[in-house]
Amino acid sequence: MTPEALTIRLIVAAAIALTAFGAVAAWVSGNAIKRLAGLVAAMAGAMVAAAALGAPDALLGGAVAIVFATVAAGVALAVRLQEAYGAIEAPELDQADRQDEASERAP
Amino acid sequence: MIAALLDLARTHAPLLSLSTLVIGAALAIAGAGPRLSWFIALAAALASAAFASDMALRLLTDGEIVLTIEGAALFPDGVGAFAGALLAGVAVLAVMAAGASLGDYERRAAPFALALLLLTAAGWIGALMARDLVGVLIAVETAWLASVGLVAMSAQRAALNGALRMLGAGGVGGAMFVLGAGLLHHGAGALDLPAIAAAHVERADAAALGAGLVLLGVALKAGVAPLHEWMGAVLGRVNAVGALAVGVLCAIGAIAVIVRLAAYLLPSLAFGEGVSIALAVLGGASVVIGSVQAVGSHNLRRMTGYAGIAQAGGVLLCVALASPAGYAAALVQLTAFAGAALALFGGAAAGGVQTLETLDGLGRRAPLAGAAIMAGAVSLMGAPLTLGFLGRWRLVEAGVGAGWWWAAGAVIFASLAGVFYGGRLIERLYFRRAGEVYAGARDVWRWAMAPMLAASIVVIGLGVAPAGLLAAADAAAAHIAGSVR
Repeated sequence: MTPEALTIRLIVAAAIALTAFGAVAAWVSGNAIKRLAGLVAAMAGAMVAAAALGAPDALLGGAVAIVFATVAAGVALAVRLQEAYGAIEAPELDQADRQDEASERAP
Repeated sequence: MIAALLDLARTHAPLLSLSTLVIGAALAIAGAGPRLSWFIALAAALASAAFASDMALRLLTDGEIVLTIEGAALFPDGVGAFAGALLAGVAVLAVMAAGASLGDYERRAAPFALALLLLTAAGWIGALMARDLVGVLIAVETAWLASVGLVAMSAQRAALNGALRMLGAGGVGGAMFVLGAGLLHHGAGALDLPAIAAAHVERADAAALGAGLVLLGVALKAGVAPLHEWMGAVLGRVNAVGALAVGVLCAIGAIAVIVRLAAYLLPSLAFGEGVSIALAVLGGASVVIGSVQAVGSHNLRRMTGYAGIAQAGGVLLCVALASPAGYAAALVQLTAFAGAALALFGGAAAGGVQTLETLDGLGRRAPLAGAAIMAGAVSLMGAPLTLGFLGRWRLVEAGVGAGWWWAAGAVIFASLAGVFYGGRLIERLYFRRAGEVYAGARDVWRWAMAPMLAASIVVIGLGVAPAGLLAAADAAAAHIAGSVR
């Protein structure tokens, strides 16, 4: 294996690991902002891997646009969550939802 | 002059079926008030459905349509045309029904909700017609972000929590799709769908992993089990328009996109078999998990969502067969699910139903909503003479023909579970006394839901005379199989 091929493999491996860590963080993190950061990390890792593998510019450009749109939507959502719940931590949001449901069911 | 313009419009039908929705969304936002915006949105949805239906009719009867300049980006094949027309029709009914629920939004927010509903439909239709994976990615993410926005606009704050989960799951799906597309390009040397199908694959492992990740990325958005963590949180608390967008448009759109992508990826000798096995495992798990969760659910919308997961599993099993018979069965199942979802989500919205307790006696208090919910429940059971039965029968036929007896067993399990949760709905609708006063809307705009409820009953009733639908599904499957060859 040539040094260039080895370098590309290492970059792809690191990028896939970043994608995996970002995806796990986006899935399990309790904090809305950390979840958003995980998404950005996952998408960045996926883009780096795709670029290292020689993907066309159109795919990378599209991915960048999607990241910007996702971050914009995520930040807006975090602000609305803070306004509505006074919190952005998932356990607190779930607890508040359970209380809302219980109070609606109460006679 | 008019005939020439119509001919020109028909020539550009793929582009117009998309652009009318996007332009309609922009005009709806610019509308002077909610009602004017609603009329604009409805006109755009009707125009899009007319273009999509005409294109599907020509493609499925003549075998091909002439593509002009938009052919560089759009490539309507049999599955794309069939599912695109289905989705455009569903969008018309959803926008029409939204007219009854505009009061759920503030006056300034209602036009934005209508615009997001149109963009959700436009995104999924775009993904069904995109020529390459870049187009599919951008269209899918547009639809997904629009539906996240629509969910977040619900009055109940719990919907915001659901929207956050949707955004997280969808973002992970998007990252998987980008990574998968990169690997697929590395392995097969193309992102163009027909080119991938015909490619000489040099790196089969990379291409197989890429194909799996691409399909998994869309499956996350379809809510296929066990990747559906976000679904209960969203459907339990979202308002009527959001439920139609997520539970019907997104679910049908995402499953149809999986069917289309799989039709291009599965024939590959280098990696098709591995992808087929992965789809079959995911489909089987989805049938079982969705059915069990639907049985245990006490909220009508959540129950419908979980039943939809079981239906989606059935579609994945059909697709995994990688045969024209399997693709045709998948399209029939997709149509059956569209009818059932419209009936159940629409009936829930018209009757003001959230929990199963509020269904008690609804059949007498709101006869049309009750009839729609009953029809949806009967279809989910897979009762004979309904489209639900036909879809499952076609899957059993295709599965047994391929020697997949276990797939037939999974479908029978789904039907048995459907008898339990569907039967529970019918028992509450017609054999219980109402515990509280009717909670549905009373103004004249409530009739805007009637076409959707009536259409859903008609679609489910197509099981009685299915010849036209079966012929269209067979033609669509044969067309995409021919495109791939």
